[in-house]
Amino acid sequence: MKGYEVILKLQEYLGENDLIVSSNGNISREVYHYLPKPQVYLRGSMGLPVGVGLGLAVMNPEKRITVITGDGNLLMGFGSVVTVAYYKPNNLKILILDNSQYFTTGGQQTVSSAINYSKFLDSLNIMNFQSLEASPSTVNDSLDNFFNTKGLAILHYTIEEGKKELSNIPWHPTKIADKFLHRFG
Amino acid sequence: MMINLYEFTGFIEENFDLVSGVPCSYFKDFLSYLTNQEGVSQLKHLIATREDEAIAIATGAALSKKRALVYMQNSGVGNIGDALTSLVQLYKLPMMILISYRGLIEDIDFPEHSIMGEINNSLLESLNLRYWDLEIENWQKNMKNALTEMKDQSLPVVLMVKQGVLSQ
Repeated sequence: MKGYEVILKLQEYLGENDLIVSSNGNISREVYHYLPKPQVYLRGSMGLPVGVGLGLAVMNPEKRITVITGDGNLLMGFGSVVTVAYYKPNNLKILILDNSQYFTTGGQQTVSSAINYSKFLDSLNIMNFQSLEASPSTVNDSLDNFFNTKGLAILHYTIEEGKKELSNIPWHPTKIADKFLHRFG
Repeated sequence: MMINLYEFTGFIEENFDLVSGVPCSYFKDFLSYLTNQEGVSQLKHLIATREDEAIAIATGAALSKKRALVYMQNSGVGNIGDALTSLVQLYKLPMMILISYRGLIEDIDFPEHSIMGEINNSLLESLNLRYWDLEIENWQKNMKNALTEMKDQSLPVVLMVKQGVLSQ
């Protein structure tokens, strides 16, 4: 499956209590177009979505926070995965869409394939983790488990490259922040 | 005499919901005090692996109307340029950053701080960051001025912390 096909699937799982942090480039664009609005659409700040999700999670224990990030972005802030594993907020979900590429900038290769994600995630002592290829036959079970099991979860999908042509996010970042802040009264 | 940590931490607890950062020896006593308060205080304290991660954690707090304080050495300012310009300042989010002022005369034997010490103020100015000195005698006034600016502009503000101010 391609990244946007996985993101489309998330529609079935997300409700009013869900907050999403999407990483820059295509992922933020796909989250903006395909999922309920408003969410935290990061436009820059490579390497930081997991940290933003962690801050949201510890400050809002009654909400469920899902970070959606690519592999290039994850690698740039790799220490944040360890920070999350240390603090283990039970309302944080991290979805990694791994095409082993900096896809938004033209498909340059990342070094992600050097990691055995199953072994790496296992070493963090997280109860709920999985690393698998996203396919129509695996995606339902793995997303069920990811969203419906309480506690910190990290789901790593290897995905096929490919995107839908989507228009740029029309909101300026100040508007993104304003609209998102309105969700907190 | 350094700042009274009981009063200082009380002020932080009153004005902030979350603290995150990367340590400096200039914060040693303050951070010990903060650690001892854990469980007693409502304040959440998260230790970060990098300074930009601390800014990201503070951003998560700010995006849900919570107030965040970040601490770091000025060496870490070299690590937060993108976090500020493409996140905090771009989305106009308030937060306060305590930065230890390394590379002054007392760091003469620590050349790793010398260049950042020299460019400290011009770098903060290039980054469009408003900054104040945290003064032992006037710290409450300094903090209040910075807090007012932070809230009025909805932007990050900086307090520079010299040796002996928050740790012996």
